[in-house]
Amino acid sequence: MRSADRIAGAALLALAVAFSAGALRQWAYWGENGPGPAFLPFWLGLVMAILAVMLLVSGLRSPDSSEAWLPSGESLRRLVLVLAITVAFVALLGVLGMTIATVLFLVVLIRYLDHQRWLVALAVALAVAALNYVVFTRWLGVPLPTGPFGF
Amino acid sequence: MDFLSNLSLGFSVAFTPFNLLMAAAGVVMGILIGALPGVGPPSGVALLLPLTFGMNPTSGIIMLAALYAGTMYGGTITSVLINTPGESASVVTCIDGHQMALQGRAGPALGIAAIGSFVAGTAGVVLLMLVSPALARWSLAFGPPETFALMLLGLTTVTLLTGESAIKGYISMVFGLMLAMVGFDIISGDPRYAFGVPELMDGIDFLPVAIGLFGIGEVLVGAEAAAAGSAMVQARYGLRDLLPNAADWARSRWAIARGTVLGFLVGILPGAGPTISTFLSYALEKKMTRHPQEFGHGAIEGVAGPESANNAAATGAMVPMLTLGIPGSATTAIMLGGLMMWGLRPGPLLFEKNPEFVWGLIASQYIANVMLLILSTAAIPLFVRALRVPYGILMPLIVVFCVTGAYSLKNSVFDVGQMLVFGVLGYAMKKLGYSPAALTLALVLGPLAERALRQSLIISDSGAAIFFLRPISAVLMVLAIAAVLVPATRGFAAAAARRRAAIAGG
Repeated sequence: MRSADRIAGAALLALAVAFSAGALRQWAYWGENGPGPAFLPFWLGLVMAILAVMLLVSGLRSPDSSEAWLPSGESLRRLVLVLAITVAFVALLGVLGMTIATVLFLVVLIRYLDHQRWLVALAVALAVAALNYVVFTRWLGVPLPTGPFGF
Repeated sequence: MDFLSNLSLGFSVAFTPFNLLMAAAGVVMGILIGALPGVGPPSGVALLLPLTFGMNPTSGIIMLAALYAGTMYGGTITSVLINTPGESASVVTCIDGHQMALQGRAGPALGIAAIGSFVAGTAGVVLLMLVSPALARWSLAFGPPETFALMLLGLTTVTLLTGESAIKGYISMVFGLMLAMVGFDIISGDPRYAFGVPELMDGIDFLPVAIGLFGIGEVLVGAEAAAAGSAMVQARYGLRDLLPNAADWARSRWAIARGTVLGFLVGILPGAGPTISTFLSYALEKKMTRHPQEFGHGAIEGVAGPESANNAAATGAMVPMLTLGIPGSATTAIMLGGLMMWGLRPGPLLFEKNPEFVWGLIASQYIANVMLLILSTAAIPLFVRALRVPYGILMPLIVVFCVTGAYSLKNSVFDVGQMLVFGVLGYAMKKLGYSPAALTLALVLGPLAERALRQSLIISDSGAAIFFLRPISAVLMVLAIAAVLVPATRGFAAAAARRRAAIAGG
């Protein structure tokens, strides 16, 4: 946790400085009769910088840096895989359309996480994709992304 | 009396078949969402918000408010039966509720929670109905300085009460405000922090952020933890099994009454939601009881008080949202964002301009509480069965909901990507003790707070002193500053005490 605080503190400090400096460089701090577009961003950056320094100091002060906060082994693998499969799902939305991408995503993830039989995974996936299509496209009129077959 | 005519207007809205259906759907989904570990009330409201876009706003808020009430009960089921809180407002219920279940008294534990929820929810709506119009009338006199001071108070209190450390809470909040700065400036029209990306010029929408932080964030936390099945206490759920006996009832009566009042008051406070109210109620009951030794070993007051408090608080949290436009909890922050998306302006004028919305919501809350009582006594076995859906199936379904919900707002894949980014951020924030609730609240309030701040400084001829020269705004500012300083001084005092102890001990 402590090393995480140090990293977060340093990153937030850099962000805060860039945020304030960027505001002052590009926009007016004070307009004709009141605060300009850079007014609040400048102060927010300043407050964030102070908070980041406080976080950094509390991270440096505490001696313990061994505390594990990143998952490792099996947990890490599962986390990364779930995230990767989800990113692939979103990337495929525009290509395959919502329905096909949903079915693929669900089958893969349910098989991976729950070790269900193919048939169960496929049944759940088809039911959810169909329900999603009916509720959003038909009922709410949201044009979900369509694939080569028009759904 | 115009109060009664308002209420009858409300019931005429609430009793339309579609609105009744929405209230019932909200309660059922709320109980399920509350019961499923890993999906709390904020994620539930964020995920279902897109479904309301095709509806009239009144039906939408009826569903979401009923859902919020339902989650407060749903979390109880898992707390009692598997010792895993379904959402944070049921954490305390695990302590004595699960002990009762182990002693074969799961039925009375769930029963007293259902009765307490009903009493507190209904009393909460009565209070909501009495307090809100008066508060709305009073706040009509608010100018920009008062509005800004009030928002500042809301932001500092939410930060005070969430997250592991005050610093991390404030970092979450200020980060949310920084995100709120992205997009066209309201006065000058400068595109701030958009980096030429057209999707960023209109600002960062709160919905993909909320869905990402709460929905995807929870899924990732769950993905990391091994999806081990937890043991569920078996119990009987006939109506007779749920009824508390005379001794239970004598012990719970006042706990329910105290929990109701306490919960409602805590719920009204900007920033302090149902979760806080349950902790306070538990502590209060432990003080008031004649059987302190039983707490932690299945004391029914320890279930009755907090379970009443969280329902009263969920209703109380609606008061500042409706009357002042300041949410009282993370969930109402998301509802507030919904109100704005529906084109309503929360705040004092809502009562004058949209009476059918406000009173329809209030009347439907009465109905939702009755539905909740019926479902929570008659349908427990069904909800228990739903709990058996394996997490490995549930989690992928939540992801599909998140993706569809984020997309449906503007039919944009960019929003979906943005949601994923915030999902990873939500995971990290949760792991490292930051507060996604404070970030969401700040993102919703940011643009409103900035406008109020700049308008105040424009009308002021004494600079920032304007906030301290007007009485209401001065009181609110002092409270907001106290909310920042009090925990800080407490921190210093604790550090000093540790140093003294170290010197004395060394």
